[in-house]
Amino acid sequence: MNLNSEIILKTQLLAKHVMLEDKQLTLLQDINLAVSTGETIAIVGSSGSGKTTLLSILAGLDLPSYGEVYLKNKPLHQLNEEQRSQVRADHVGFIFQQFLLISSLTALENVMLPAELANDDNAKQQALDLLAQVGLSERANHFPAQLSGGEQQRVAIARAFITKPDILFADEPTGNLDKYTSTHIADLLFDLNKQFGTTLVLVTHDLILAQRCQRRVEMQGGRLINKQHLDHTKSEQLNTDTKIIQAENV
Amino acid sequence: MSFFMANWVKQSIRLLKHELKRGELTIIVLAIALGVASVFSLAGFSGKIKQALLNESTSFIAADRVLQTSRKIALQDNITQPIALSRDAITHKSQQLNINQAQQVLMSSMVFAGDVMALVEIQAISSSYPLRGELLVNYSINANELTAANAPELGTVFIEEKLLSLLEVAIGDVIDIGESSFVIKAVAKQIPDASFSVFTSGVKVIINIADLDKTQLVQPGSRLTYKYLFSGDVDAIKALTAWLEPKLNDSQRWFDIQSKQSPLANALNKAEKYLSLASLLGIILAAVAVSVASRRYAQRHQSSVGVYKAMGASLSHIRKLYYLHWSLLSVFSITLGLLVGYILAQLGFYAIQDYLPVQLTMNSVNNSNFSGLITLGFYPLIMAVFTGLLCALAFAITPLQELIATSPLVVIRGVNLKPSNQKFRDRVGQFLIPLLALLLLLFVFSSDLMLSVSLLIGGVIVSTLLLVFGRLLMRLSRNIGSKAGASWHLALANLQRRAHANSVQLVSFTIAIKLLLMIIVLRGALLNEWQAQLPEQTPNVFLVNIAQSQVDHVEQFIEQQSIIASDIYAVIRGRLTAINSDKIAKEVSKEQTDGSDNGRKGVGRELNLTWREDLPKENNVVQGKWWQNDLIDANKPQVSIEQTLAKRLDIKLGDSLTFQLGSEVITVDVSSIREVNWQSMQPNFYMIFNPQVLADYPASYISSLYVSADKKVQLQNFLSAYPTISVIDVDVMIAQLRKVIEQVSKAVEFILVLVVFAGCLVLVAQVQASMEEREREIAILRTIGAKGALLRNSILLEFVALGAIAGLMASVAMELTVYLLQSYLFKMQTSFHFEYWLLGIVAGASFVGVVGLLSCWRLLNMSSVTLIRRTM
Repeated sequence: MNLNSEIILKTQLLAKHVMLEDKQLTLLQDINLAVSTGETIAIVGSSGSGKTTLLSILAGLDLPSYGEVYLKNKPLHQLNEEQRSQVRADHVGFIFQQFLLISSLTALENVMLPAELANDDNAKQQALDLLAQVGLSERANHFPAQLSGGEQQRVAIARAFITKPDILFADEPTGNLDKYTSTHIADLLFDLNKQFGTTLVLVTHDLILAQRCQRRVEMQGGRLINKQHLDHTKSEQLNTDTKIIQAENV
Repeated sequence: MSFFMANWVKQSIRLLKHELKRGELTIIVLAIALGVASVFSLAGFSGKIKQALLNESTSFIAADRVLQTSRKIALQDNITQPIALSRDAITHKSQQLNINQAQQVLMSSMVFAGDVMALVEIQAISSSYPLRGELLVNYSINANELTAANAPELGTVFIEEKLLSLLEVAIGDVIDIGESSFVIKAVAKQIPDASFSVFTSGVKVIINIADLDKTQLVQPGSRLTYKYLFSGDVDAIKALTAWLEPKLNDSQRWFDIQSKQSPLANALNKAEKYLSLASLLGIILAAVAVSVASRRYAQRHQSSVGVYKAMGASLSHIRKLYYLHWSLLSVFSITLGLLVGYILAQLGFYAIQDYLPVQLTMNSVNNSNFSGLITLGFYPLIMAVFTGLLCALAFAITPLQELIATSPLVVIRGVNLKPSNQKFRDRVGQFLIPLLALLLLLFVFSSDLMLSVSLLIGGVIVSTLLLVFGRLLMRLSRNIGSKAGASWHLALANLQRRAHANSVQLVSFTIAIKLLLMIIVLRGALLNEWQAQLPEQTPNVFLVNIAQSQVDHVEQFIEQQSIIASDIYAVIRGRLTAINSDKIAKEVSKEQTDGSDNGRKGVGRELNLTWREDLPKENNVVQGKWWQNDLIDANKPQVSIEQTLAKRLDIKLGDSLTFQLGSEVITVDVSSIREVNWQSMQPNFYMIFNPQVLADYPASYISSLYVSADKKVQLQNFLSAYPTISVIDVDVMIAQLRKVIEQVSKAVEFILVLVVFAGCLVLVAQVQASMEEREREIAILRTIGAKGALLRNSILLEFVALGAIAGLMASVAMELTVYLLQSYLFKMQTSFHFEYWLLGIVAGASFVGVVGLLSCWRLLNMSSVTLIRRTM
């Protein structure tokens, strides 16, 4: 690991269980993970392996059933909803597969939103600057429904960076986009990430996207397997969805 | 940071502005606005109509309220002998409340013109008489011009036309009443409070009350009726009533037009009940619409709240943001509602202005500075705003709280439409708050706790039953559907699959359709009943004082002219003197009866008695047997008594009653108790004897006839040969009655339109509420290759099936409710309405089908890609 050694995100023996019709279902087990400041890490794995569950706990959206999780040294597992909200407001940015723009706000207003929540007086100018950076200056006053999928995700990326978060969580950011747009969005994401020096936690089953991260970890049946390098033999065990991408990769 | 600079305020306003502009809040705005608008217009409109009707109908008693007594009320309190009520006190109170007063004294007396004399009814009136309605007189017998008059000048009289021929006098001649002489100034053509009672046979002579002493007719022991008339604001009259009623004694009667047993009072009472009920149902419908729409509002905003929370927005930020958003939305909707309500009421007034009494239209012109608009007053305004606020608060509070509590996890897991793991307490609260709010609304609006509670409890029971029944029907239709074509199959499968959502939807459809059917059916029943009360050829002439020797001639005349007539009834005057062995107490004042009263209560006046072989029409024996049906005791002396009198005097079957007829005393047993339709225009009697008792007593006779306009001349000619027969012409009264009923009917129709509108909104809101889920489904079906026509048909059929099931259930529920309402609230004949079942089913199916299809139309015409993008 060639990064500075300050750990921004750490988990210890993290586990998540849910009750399903009186039966306990284990979603996550024995997750030990440490992410350094400025690192980019991809969590890969097949559908149902627990990637998204892990992401939601790491980002403080959900609580673990067992174990500890620290974000910027804050013990998320001990904080209530309100306190975790504050941690997110101070340190976290998000990009979602479904973009999740607020449909009744314009692109500009969507981007401004996190800055406003942080009481940033300069929200509008910053949002305009970011929209320019993602190439959407002309569409600032358009509503999400008037934008294409790729454009919506660019707005979402601008929104994610406006508060210059310490850590950015991206959940399948290209999952809903075609191949060409995906590449474009990924470029944008990694460029901005580099520019702002943000730590990136990326959940995906797109192996090309994953490979752009400095480190990759794989989830299997709720457990974490470290994968410094993605080799050909292992890649066949990944989700069948990724076969085409794998072929290109070879 | 100032309030307006706060981020949550900015965000809230921004959100509202965009959403309003983009039409995302249309349904919720419409729902609240409609609630407010219907309350505003209904309260304003029905209030005005009621007032107008009352103003019109109060002319029948020449006042809003009348205090009638057989003893003059003393001028002022006598210190040594304090009395409950003095005229000074009444005058003082009336002036305080800004109430107008008039007085009249009624008595029978002989009048003379030279040697000719006649028994007349003297009506001595004060100069402010009549307070309501018009006294129309004709100053010249040849001119047809009628003039509205007050009391005649001193020394003059107005007389009824018949007296001219009876006394062989003309206008301008002099007649003697008691010790004084009067000049006949005019012929009275219409006397507002002329008695409907066919037994007051006297011809009217109207004199100024200031001339009464001059006649010296008022002597100790004279039989007089004093009437003190009052008119003024509704509230003032209420206040006067509250002050006066506790002070009244048994001989004093305080009544208004509605407390009189007349067809008019009956129609008015029912109309009023109907208007209140329709308004209540309108409110319920609007409340249902708000609750449906607010649920959808919360669902739509769930993912936004998730995003806000994921971005780190605090709970208090979101709470403030959405409470403000909702408050602004409510204020906007309420304002819009007031505006719409005002316009609706004006349109309503405009539509029926020809039917409104002149008085209302004139008042309104004065109220609104000649702009022609009618001011609705503060009460409707306050009620409307209150309704809007309560709806916006109570029906939205649970969905709003759920919305605010949305977990940020929805950004990952997707929107959860149904909040899971709810505590039982919360679930109960979720229903309890809106129910209590509804109860409060109903109560505030109707001031009738019983009615409100029963409407509510009935509603809850019906909804629960419907929920269960609806699911059964859906399951049943699924089975049928599996044997039908592809569209039907898909439609009915959808119906069944979304059973929970659909059964909620079904209940609101059903309730909306049921309430609409109910209002339509009741309206029809009321109009029919009113029509039936005054059918074509309702008797318009009463012949009174027919002598025994004239009966045959009258019967002959009726037969010759083929006139429709009631039977001819004998009338014998008599006084009830004892019930069993108890002597009837003498009329006593309240003060004296307090404490020790041994005598039984009596009628206090002579009764008109008759005898009959068979039970008269419109009479029903409710207890005992009519003598014709009693083979054993048919010849025993017996009497049949009217049920309200029996109740008042506490007379039971088998009691023996003693009557004094002139100098003779007879005692008979009560063999039956009758229900009498007092509204029928025929002679009605409290006491009917069997022929054995009264047939041999000298009697006068009475009959009621329908005389068409072309036969009036023949009747006059016939009667000129029999001057002693009195004629009471009730044509004017019937015409007036018809007019009032026509007004009421128009008002009822207007309200119906408003309620129908509210019902339609519920349906639209409910269809809209299911759109999101449908969008997802259509996307999936389109993706897997379902053709447009298949999707269109299956959606149409799903809604049609839903509408038809709702229509059917609504019809059954309506039938039940209408039965209960008719028998308990309106006290009218119950009936079944199968023809409306078809209406309910067909209208439900087509309306829900069309609205559903229209709402989905946009979705159906979107490309698969757009659809998928929207729903992913």
